[in-house]
Amino acid sequence: MNTLTRTITIEEAPIAIATLDTNLCFINCSTPWQQEFISPDKEIYGKSFFDVVPSSPPVFRKILENSFSIDDNIIEEQKHIMPDGSIKWYQWCIKTWKDVDGTIGGLIITCTNITKIKRAKDLLIAAENVAKMGGWDLDMITNTIHWSRITKEIHEVPLDYKPCLKTGINFYKEGEHREKITELIQKAITNGEEWDTELQIVTAKGKELWVRAKGMPEFVNGKCVRLYGIFQDIDKEKKAEIKNTQIKERLDLATEVANIGIWEYNLHKDELEWNDEMFPLFGVKRKDFKGNFGSWKATVHPDDLERCLKEFDMAVSGIKDFKTEFRIVHPDGTIKHIKANAGIFKDDEGKIIKMVGTNWDITEVVNTQLKLNKSEESFKGSFKSSAVGMALVAKDGSWLDVNDTLCLSLGYSRKELLQLSFQDITHPQDLEKDLSQLQMLLDGKVNSYQLEKRYFHKKGTIVYVVLTVTAVKDIEGNISHFISQVVDITAKIEAQKKSEEFLELTKSQNNSLLNFAHIVSHNLRSHSSNLSMLSNYLIEEQGESEKREIEAMIVNASESLNETVAHLNEVVQISTEAEGQLQAVCLNEIVKNVEKNISALLQQKKVECQISIDQSIKVKGIHAYLDSVLLNLFTNSVKYSSPNRIPKISIQATKSGNFIILNFRDNGLGINLERHGKKLFGMYKTFHQHEDSKGIGLFITKNQIEAMNGKIEVESAVDKGTLFKITLVAA
Amino acid sequence: MGKIESSCIIDDDPIAIYGIKRSMKEIDFCNTIVVYKNGQDAIDGLNNMVAEGIALPSIILLDLNMPIMDGWEFLDDFIKIPNNNTKKVTIYIISSSIDPRDVIKVQDYSLVSNYILKPIKSADLLKLLSDGSNY
Repeated sequence: MNTLTRTITIEEAPIAIATLDTNLCFINCSTPWQQEFISPDKEIYGKSFFDVVPSSPPVFRKILENSFSIDDNIIEEQKHIMPDGSIKWYQWCIKTWKDVDGTIGGLIITCTNITKIKRAKDLLIAAENVAKMGGWDLDMITNTIHWSRITKEIHEVPLDYKPCLKTGINFYKEGEHREKITELIQKAITNGEEWDTELQIVTAKGKELWVRAKGMPEFVNGKCVRLYGIFQDIDKEKKAEIKNTQIKERLDLATEVANIGIWEYNLHKDELEWNDEMFPLFGVKRKDFKGNFGSWKATVHPDDLERCLKEFDMAVSGIKDFKTEFRIVHPDGTIKHIKANAGIFKDDEGKIIKMVGTNWDITEVVNTQLKLNKSEESFKGSFKSSAVGMALVAKDGSWLDVNDTLCLSLGYSRKELLQLSFQDITHPQDLEKDLSQLQMLLDGKVNSYQLEKRYFHKKGTIVYVVLTVTAVKDIEGNISHFISQVVDITAKIEAQKKSEEFLELTKSQNNSLLNFAHIVSHNLRSHSSNLSMLSNYLIEEQGESEKREIEAMIVNASESLNETVAHLNEVVQISTEAEGQLQAVCLNEIVKNVEKNISALLQQKKVECQISIDQSIKVKGIHAYLDSVLLNLFTNSVKYSSPNRIPKISIQATKSGNFIILNFRDNGLGINLERHGKKLFGMYKTFHQHEDSKGIGLFITKNQIEAMNGKIEVESAVDKGTLFKITLVAA
Repeated sequence: MGKIESSCIIDDDPIAIYGIKRSMKEIDFCNTIVVYKNGQDAIDGLNNMVAEGIALPSIILLDLNMPIMDGWEFLDDFIKIPNNNTKKVTIYIISSSIDPRDVIKVQDYSLVSNYILKPIKSADLLKLLSDGSNY
């Protein structure tokens, strides 16, 4: 074997290499060195190293100077700033060379431009920092693990931390995460499978973190000698992703529960995608669905199709959003109302590429609305044309709307009525009960109420109504307004009043008749029975003196009969004669006149009279009757005056409406009304032990007053006095 | 039961009283007859009898229409007389009224045994005696 006999010169070396003397001056250099640092034509011999290699940092100068005392190779990476300001990285390899005698002759230096590698490394480190991506490396033979700085930071361990395989695995969260990584490592070692997974670790400080762990095995001779990979903090992204998934799940659930169909239509490809909810919504079977525009078109109700297509075109041309309602026909013929909203997606050039939209079933809403419209229409119809007065009334009582019938009842025009409230036209005596019922309604204690009340007609007359008020509630259950139904019963009430008046009249006439019948049946009969009895005795009696006695009694009885008949006749005449004879009579004159006529009696009994009647007061009456009534009252007062005090009579008259009330008061014996009240004005009723008591005066008085359409009432207290209150019609 | 000891007439009509007395004498109705001219006199008189320990009349003939206190008012006051003997007294209404309302009203008074329409005849009184024998 031939050995190489020629010595290769430094100049010929294919790498940048140079020899220096002990003064760090060039002895010679290779062509690549020459090319790297100095123009090829220039002489390098004898030049100082630091003149040739620019911007050598002082540290490097020191290393070079010290290198003479070191036998081993010195490898050093240095940054050099070039004269043009650019940065270059060189890796220097330095070794001393010796003479044959063993003394150090200088340095042999090789130089490698590592700027590019260095930059790549810097970039990697920067990338690691930015991506929070660390590296790791497991030597299976020595069972040592190396973690890069970032990896350590992710684990939140100090930079001098020394992990091993077991501690490394234990950082993974207990349970599925730790089991998963163990399984993955196992598979990598035995089967050579790589892994790339996302798992949770618990850092040294106890923080739970999502990481991406990637690992690759290295095999030598079928045996795994090394595992290495990257380790990345993806916690933020992962959590966002998990949240996203949850939101999507929620959305899916919501669309499913709400029965919202979602569709996506690609305009260029004519591809229509439906979510699960769309199929039952449109009654289409998945297998029948062709997935294009036609699939949708086929479902739309023929009457709505043209409009829908127009709206679709308008949406596509960007004129109007696709927000519409249309009907669809299911294969079984049922019609459903669908509400649709859609948005459009444009490409970079602004062209619409697809539409995404939602559909849901509003059939029930539409049907309810239709029913509502119908009932509203029918309400409006009946409101307008009802024969019953109707009104919509606000909570404050103002009229919101009234119908013609109500206007007619109340005499106002619709316009006039709408400017009033129900309080304005309600009879004051009825307002309180209406308002209290209304309050019950407002308080929710009742849903409606009914009452009879009075309104004032525009003309001022009273309108009698039966009012029914019902509360109308809004969607939240609060009362929005009232519906009032007003049945005008004025005609009925007036008829009722008239018939009540008739009834009253009939009653009083009936009473008079009964009274009369009683008088006849009793008073007349007592005389007739006496007469018949005495006549019988007269026939039977033998004794002359006895006979004469009986005859005297018969005369008495016939006289009494005569008297009674005369009284009855008088009563009948009072009632019949009064007809058509009523005239205006000055009350004061009558009273004064009667007082004058009996002045002798009054003076004799020392009666004090006080008369205060306004001269203007006139009554509809009959002069003679009024004379008789007053005379009777005066004489009664005198007759039944108390012997214990000076008799006093006071007479006053007041006007009340269409009536004149005459009060005739005395301070006499009084009458026990509890005992005698009922028969005070009866015929032949007497209550005092008085020789002149006949029980006819007040009976006649009453009949006379009633004949003048008046009435007489009495108030009295025993031994205090009596008040006769006579009501007469004002003239 | 035969002749009774004493009876009482309450009536304001002297002719009626004369007739009753005459009929009573005719059939020898009783030993003594007490007459009151109205309800008030009767109440006062009967109260006096009770006070003096005199036995009350066993039969009272009571008119309805009277001044001061009528027959109805007398009945109201009579039950208030504080004496057990009032229960042994039989009261008959004597009236000339054929008004049915009076006849019906009498039924409200348990005190009253019957209603006799005037004029009172001796036959009416005889019937009272035979009715009375049931007591």
